[in-house]
Amino acid sequence: MRIVVDILIAFSAFFAFAGVVGMLRMPDSFCRMQSSTNVSTFGVLGVIIGGALYAGFFLGNAEMVVKILLLGVFYIVTSPISGHAIAKGAYRHGVKMTEDAVCDKYGEDME
Amino acid sequence: MKKATFPAILSTAIVCYVFWLLITGQLVSLIQGKPAVQQLLAGLIVSIGVALFSARFFIHENPFYLFNPAKFGSLLAYIPVFLVELTKANIDVAKRALSPRLPVNPGIVKVPVGLESEYGQSMLANSITLTPGTITMDVVEQDEKTYYYIHWIDVASEDPEEAGEAIKGTLERGVRRIWK
Repeated sequence: MRIVVDILIAFSAFFAFAGVVGMLRMPDSFCRMQSSTNVSTFGVLGVIIGGALYAGFFLGNAEMVVKILLLGVFYIVTSPISGHAIAKGAYRHGVKMTEDAVCDKYGEDME
Repeated sequence: MKKATFPAILSTAIVCYVFWLLITGQLVSLIQGKPAVQQLLAGLIVSIGVALFSARFFIHENPFYLFNPAKFGSLLAYIPVFLVELTKANIDVAKRALSPRLPVNPGIVKVPVGLESEYGQSMLANSITLTPGTITMDVVEQDEKTYYYIHWIDVASEDPEEAGEAIKGTLERGVRRIWK
């Protein structure tokens, strides 16, 4: 069981790493946000499940398990909403897309 | 602004109270048979108060729709479908971020959505945003149809139908089994 917990957390760490590298390398704000969802899904999910397993099997603390899983639920529910709000806000505020962008239907329809 | 109905307030209060029970750890002590009455009552009063003020922002349709067992079953069936899509997209975006050439091809596409229920639309939009590589930027209604503007990291097609199929084909079929 200990191995499962370790694998889950290492797996998360890898995706969090990939997400951060992407955040630094991507060409514009919107692509950076895409990369950051990498951190906010698998990067968090593995840690949450691994933490819940650890709390359940090694610490034997039911209350802690419930709280960790709740954290996961709240995270899944709230993170897309904030992502959506940030993307829309940035666009409306005038943040430019990269020059390599293929198409921008949103800008065309807003005019 | 829409007015809050009684079922809306009731369902919001129940959800708030359940989260109160879980977060304060009361559920565990209830099961062990030693409830703290004071905390239970305080939570009840606060949840009802919160529900009175906030229900009209959350619930505009039938809140007890999911008590239909078939619909609830499809909600559970949606979870593995979503996890598969999430895994594929996560690996794809991680590969893009780590590859030396940085193969991105970003753009904003407009895709039609065939869902009517508000819950279904928001669930699909949130699922799309949660999958790496796509972010829902805005939801508009034109000529009785709903469209999403989606920022896509690898635009394979600018055509609304094809792009829609590529981004949310599987997810939308899963969501449509739950909501109309």
